[in-house]
Amino acid sequence: MQKSTLLFLLVLLSAAAYHIGRRRSLQVAGGTVRSLHSLPSYYGYYAALWCGIPALLVLFLWTAFENSIVIQLVVSALPEELSSAPPDRIGLLVNDIRNVASGAVAGEIEPAVEAAANHYLRLKDTSNRLLSVLATFVAITGAAYARQRISKEHRARNHVEKSITVFLIVCSTLAVFTTIGIVLSVLFESIRFFKEVPITEFLFGLDWSPQMAIREDQVGSSGAFGAVPLFVGTLLISLIAMLVAVPIGLLSAIYLSEYASSRFRATAKPLLEILAGIPTVVYGFFAALVVAPFVRDLGARIGLDVSSESALAAGLVMGIMIIPFVSSLSDDFINAVPQSLRDGAYALGATQSETIRQVIIPAALPGIVGGVLLAVSRAIGETMIVVMAAGLTANLTANPLAAVTTVTTQIVTLLVGDQEFDSPKTLAAFALGLVLFLATLALNIIALHIVRKYREQYE
Amino acid sequence: MKVRERISEASFNREYSHTVGEITSPNSRIVCRNVNVYYGEKHAIQDVGLDIGRNEVIALIGPSGCGKSTFIRCLNRMNDTIPGCRVTGQIVLDGQDIYDGSLDVVPLRAQVGMVFQKPNPFPKSIFENVAYGPRIHGLVSSKAELEEVVETSLRRAGLWDEVKDYLHQPGTSLSGGQQQRLCIARAIAVNPEVILMDEPCSALDPIATAKIEQLIDELRSHYTIAIVTHSMQQAARVSQRTAYFHLGRLIEVGETAQIFTNPRHQLTEDYITGRFG
Repeated sequence: MQKSTLLFLLVLLSAAAYHIGRRRSLQVAGGTVRSLHSLPSYYGYYAALWCGIPALLVLFLWTAFENSIVIQLVVSALPEELSSAPPDRIGLLVNDIRNVASGAVAGEIEPAVEAAANHYLRLKDTSNRLLSVLATFVAITGAAYARQRISKEHRARNHVEKSITVFLIVCSTLAVFTTIGIVLSVLFESIRFFKEVPITEFLFGLDWSPQMAIREDQVGSSGAFGAVPLFVGTLLISLIAMLVAVPIGLLSAIYLSEYASSRFRATAKPLLEILAGIPTVVYGFFAALVVAPFVRDLGARIGLDVSSESALAAGLVMGIMIIPFVSSLSDDFINAVPQSLRDGAYALGATQSETIRQVIIPAALPGIVGGVLLAVSRAIGETMIVVMAAGLTANLTANPLAAVTTVTTQIVTLLVGDQEFDSPKTLAAFALGLVLFLATLALNIIALHIVRKYREQYE
Repeated sequence: MKVRERISEASFNREYSHTVGEITSPNSRIVCRNVNVYYGEKHAIQDVGLDIGRNEVIALIGPSGCGKSTFIRCLNRMNDTIPGCRVTGQIVLDGQDIYDGSLDVVPLRAQVGMVFQKPNPFPKSIFENVAYGPRIHGLVSSKAELEEVVETSLRRAGLWDEVKDYLHQPGTSLSGGQQQRLCIARAIAVNPEVILMDEPCSALDPIATAKIEQLIDELRSHYTIAIVTHSMQQAARVSQRTAYFHLGRLIEVGETAQIFTNPRHQLTEDYITGRFG
């Protein structure tokens, strides 16, 4: 039986178990539902859970271990001269056997391999049959056990709700474990990288040129992994972005929350937030095709030498992208300043601008700072715009008119195209990723801490 | 004998037939006539006429939603900050109609200070809280003068001895009663002529309340004070005149002793004897 058919069968069995459990509960209740501990449907779910979950577990475990066990059996049944080969040879052989078994090989087939392939198919078939029988048996036994447990006093509802809780816990931990898994994989790959390139060279080296020489006589491939130019480039672009986003975002938030009429606000705020919904790749080609040439031409007109992939262009566009983050968070925090503080200032005869500058902004400042830090971490991690607009040259410069590159851009270029997973060039991407992750994590933690502290003050 | 007044629906410019008692004060400083306040469609205050005298504490009492807070917020035009609020009628302070189009609200609010229900110190130091008003109005020319104003204001508010060593702590670090006295100090630092208090003790415990009440009594010698309160004992303790509001109308006004011992209007009597409210 196919696994999907088996799965379908198990679902059917569970549905049947639900009805059996429900009927049984009504039976033991003698027609008066009130004498039961739980509602009849809970007894139904109880039976269905007992029927489905153990059988699904069997199915899951069997599927997980089936392949390796079958392969082991096939390998051990191979003729002596084949099974004594080194492990990597055996790996290739197993691949051959599988291909033959699935009929994907044309032409000459070694008789030993063909025999092994047949053996493999037979084992698979047996295993499938065994699984079907076992899973069905477990399902029926489970349902029978549950049916037998049902009595007036039996607390079916508590059992069902307990299993729902467990299910919810599993769902929530899944996301957490995925994150931990990603972090660990980045961490271990980075450690491998740091075995080949010293961590001090990576963090403090001033030269970034990750192309490795494959042949002795290759030129221009020094394989230098000093990441400082990347950090500087990232910071430069983020700085330009923040110089654009913070004043515009903050001032528009002040206007929207303090001066604008409610009708204007109701229209303008969603429009501003649309900026946050534009895909970053759209910003990217906007930066590369519109802003960068514009900046270059403008520079040429006033006699400045501007690179066509300048940090300025990428930073400007990134700043525009971040405006809604800054303005929307600042707006929330300005609105969270209690009306009583505004009243207090107005009652002293303060004008609106005095109230805003001297009372409201200082009161909202911790929240605004938190919002800005969140925006910075967003800017540092932003990839698409800088890949398209910032260039690939690892210049160590603070000149916004020159081409620079960023951490994210380099990760993309290191992992695009053909690559070997044991070369420092590829592993460097993981090290860069780790640095990026730690930086944004630290910024987020600090920002959230500030924001939370501020919230406690007024609620 | 009680006078049972019929609440008339007639409008403007007539005798205040729904108000019992003497609305004028021997030494009037604020004169209100035909004051109506609308919040959008809602007619929150109807045809109120009332005088507030020099060196007098007037208590405004009445059940919740009767318009007493709205009324005192008219006196320094704080209602301007509420969208959809409209005020008609005349409110004259020292001969100047404060709702006149040519009047600037900034000096008006410096002249008529206000203390709110909940203490609302700014998120600044104690010193800066008090110094804020004098600074924005340019009342002082030197640092020494500013320090003097801060000290005098804090002394008058009865807070100086408690905070003189902590002037640079944040104002929000004080207790509720201290914060409220800080707000009073902040209000008197701009040297106003009138102080409006909107339930200044409702968030305070009895000891802090007693301190504030004592303070109000002392401040009377310098200022004209209007206080909104839900506590009838408080009204009886601190005020010379009392005005009773009901559903947006001024029902009765008179000497505090008379209002509390011998109210002339049935609604006033019902309220102060605790039959409702």
